[in-house]
Parts: sequence; C-alpha cells; structure tokens
Amino acid sequence: MTKSYVRFWGVRGSYAAPFPTHLKVGGNTSCVEVNVDDTVLICDAGTGIIPLGNKLVAEAKNKEVMIVLTHYHWDHICGLPFFVPAFIPDWNLTFFGPGDSKQDVKQKLDSQMQAPYFPVGTESWMANINYLDPRDAKLSIGSIEISYHNVHHPGVTYGYRIKAANKTIIYVSDNECQFLDKSIKQKMSEFTEEEQQIFQDMNREEYEYELNTIRGADILIHDAQYTPEDYETKRGWGHSCYVDVVNYAIDADVKELYLYHHDPYNDDDAIDNIHQKCQAMIQECGAPLICKIAREGMEIDLD
Amino acid sequence: MIDDRKTVVVVDDNATVRALFERSTEGLDLDLVSFDCAETAMVYLKNNKPSLLFLDIIMPVMDGLTFLSELRRLALHRDTSVIMITSKDYAQDRSTANELGALEFITKPMPMRAITDIISKYINKI
Repeated sequence: MTKSYVRFWGVRGSYAAPFPTHLKVGGNTSCVEVNVDDTVLICDAGTGIIPLGNKLVAEAKNKEVMIVLTHYHWDHICGLPFFVPAFIPDWNLTFFGPGDSKQDVKQKLDSQMQAPYFPVGTESWMANINYLDPRDAKLSIGSIEISYHNVHHPGVTYGYRIKAANKTIIYVSDNECQFLDKSIKQKMSEFTEEEQQIFQDMNREEYEYELNTIRGADILIHDAQYTPEDYETKRGWGHSCYVDVVNYAIDADVKELYLYHHDPYNDDDAIDNIHQKCQAMIQECGAPLICKIAREGMEIDLD
Repeated sequence: MIDDRKTVVVVDDNATVRALFERSTEGLDLDLVSFDCAETAMVYLKNNKPSLLFLDIIMPVMDGLTFLSELRRLALHRDTSVIMITSKDYAQDRSTANELGALEFITKPMPMRAITDIISKYINKI
C-alpha cells in the first residue's frame, strides 16, 4: 500500500553540521522529499539528497524523479555530486531552477562538478537528465503540481507552492521576511510627509504580495535561521528571524509552520529554545497556528 | 518635425511604486510608461527603446534580473540605460545587475528627489 508524505532529509542552512550536539535536529543541508504514491518530488539538493538517493535506489519503486532548486548556493546543490540515481542508466531526472534558459540551468549545475573542485563532471551521469525551461510557470510530476515565486535572498531565488495529495505545501528555504518594512522604518525620518504616506502604502502592498505567496498553506516550510540577536548583525544576509516568520505565517492564516534552514551554529538546545519562544508568541496572540521544528527524518503524513 | 520627447519606462509590480514615479515625474518633459510585470513590458520593449528603464527585481513570474538578461539579447537593447529599483539590497544582486550593464542600483524606499535626480543625470547625457 502506498502513502503520501513530506519528509525532511536536510534541514540545515549554510553548511552541514554533523556535530553530536546537533543531531536531534540534524546536520544535513536543505533537502525535502514530497512523495505521493511513490511519485517523488525533491526540493533542493543539499547534503540531505545523498541519503535520499540511496533510499530511492534501494527501494527502486520509481526511477523518475523531479528536483526543483530554490537557487544555486552550495548548501542547496552540494549533495548532487553524490546523488546515486544520477549515475544509474535507467533513471530519469528532471531539474528545474532559476535561470534564463535550460542551458543556463545545466551550466549552473555543471559548474560545481568541474576540476579542480570535483574529480568527475556531469558528463559522468548516466541517468537521462532533463532540464526544464526556467520560464515554465507551472510544473508537474504525476499528480503533484508545482509553481514558483521570487523571494528575498541574494541572487534570483525561488519559493515553491506544491499541491500534493489535496494539500498545499509551501517550500521557502531562504527568504528574508519583511525586509522592505525594516528599510522604511529605518529611513522614515528622512522623508517628507507625502513620501511617508506613499511608503506606508508601498509597504502594505509589498507585504500583501508576500502574504499571497504563502496564503492557504496547509504546510509552510520556511527559513527561520536567526534569533532577534543574530538578526541585529545579520540583516541583509538573506535569512529570516523566527519572530518575523511566525508573524508572517499567522498573518497569512497558515495551518502548520515548520521552522527550517537552521543556523549550523545553533545546537539542539538552542533550536528547542527558539521553538519555545515561537510557541509563546503564538499562544500570546491566540493564533491557531501549529509551529514545529523541521527535524531530519521527520515525516508529515499527507493522507 | 522631430519628436524629441524622452520616454522613461518603469517595470514594477507594486502599484504604489508606479504611482510614485508618476508623481515624481509630474511636470518633467518626458513620457512615462509603466508596466506591472516583465511579460507585458517585453511586448512593448521589443519595438521601443526608452531613454531610461527602471526595473524592479522581485516580481511575479519573471524577476527583473532574468528579464534584463533576456532584454540584453535583443539588439535594440544592448545599450539601453537601465536602473534597478529594488528592496533587495544584496551584493550578489548588485554584482549581477552590474554585469548585465545596469547603470545604478537604487534600493527602496527611494525619495522622489532620488528619482528626479537620476532621471536628470541620465536623460541629460543622452
């Protein structure tokens, strides 16, 4: 009997953190499997894709996989050179990610497997590799439908809206929430009264756009890398403070929020502490939001 | 008689930003043409070369940097003057915009004076 689920294979941001103090949460970098009756969609190809590839080969249930990439920073692609299905002739891999052509996407993936950085190139991949046109606004594999939107992170970066097993899953691994809001507040005193009004309107409109990208989510998997203290020194690094993420999810009426892309500096206790603070925030405002820490190996049942 | 009025194009999905440009350019001797997405802007730009193009980065569907990359492939726009206007104040985006020949990178919120100053700076050069 088949089943449908979301499984976290890698939940760290920036770099892998296989330290004994971090293993309750997990050390692998970004990778999430969405599986609907053995149709497999993979979000990002950080080190988490390595054990996922091994599992897929061991099971050999379905040799067709789609991999959507949010962007090409190392922590999101560095598992690909070790993704075993790519090296097996009868597997079919389809890639989608930001770029201005299929060739551009291919080039971006080829680049990390070139001398002197890696011993073999993507020409050693024996699977059938298909690169989708980055201008395709709507994608699908089996019954899973996927669309993308641009998010706030250095370089062109996508978030994904995934319809799977009658659930809406939003995957936003890297995004700096409410950046414009903070920029406006910082500079407000420099503006005329008319400009202040215009920028408040601009901010409302921008936030509404951001809310629409996650509205209706049954499951929101979102970057929550920083504490408020971290964010004081890391504003403009392209990641969110958990306080902003919780408020964002509440404002968009998200049902379940999974805090993701954990800072590798934070050990299990630090992340548990972040979770407790998020829970307190949610309780204080009486919102129905369910908030969990994305942990490696955690499975969310979609049935 | 030659019509030498300059055209400034703004591509931004945020209606308030487009209104800000309308307000900022009131009284200037130019035509302002606005688009809310890259796709409709591209239809116009295939046959028109503005004196100055202001371009947002985060937009629905196609982002401004990918759009600029596509635009540069058209012979008509290899040297079109482009200014990025964005809330994305990241070095990587600045670098990409620079590689694609953008003249400046303005971060939101930008006061009206910044808009008129930049228009004066580049329109006068043309």
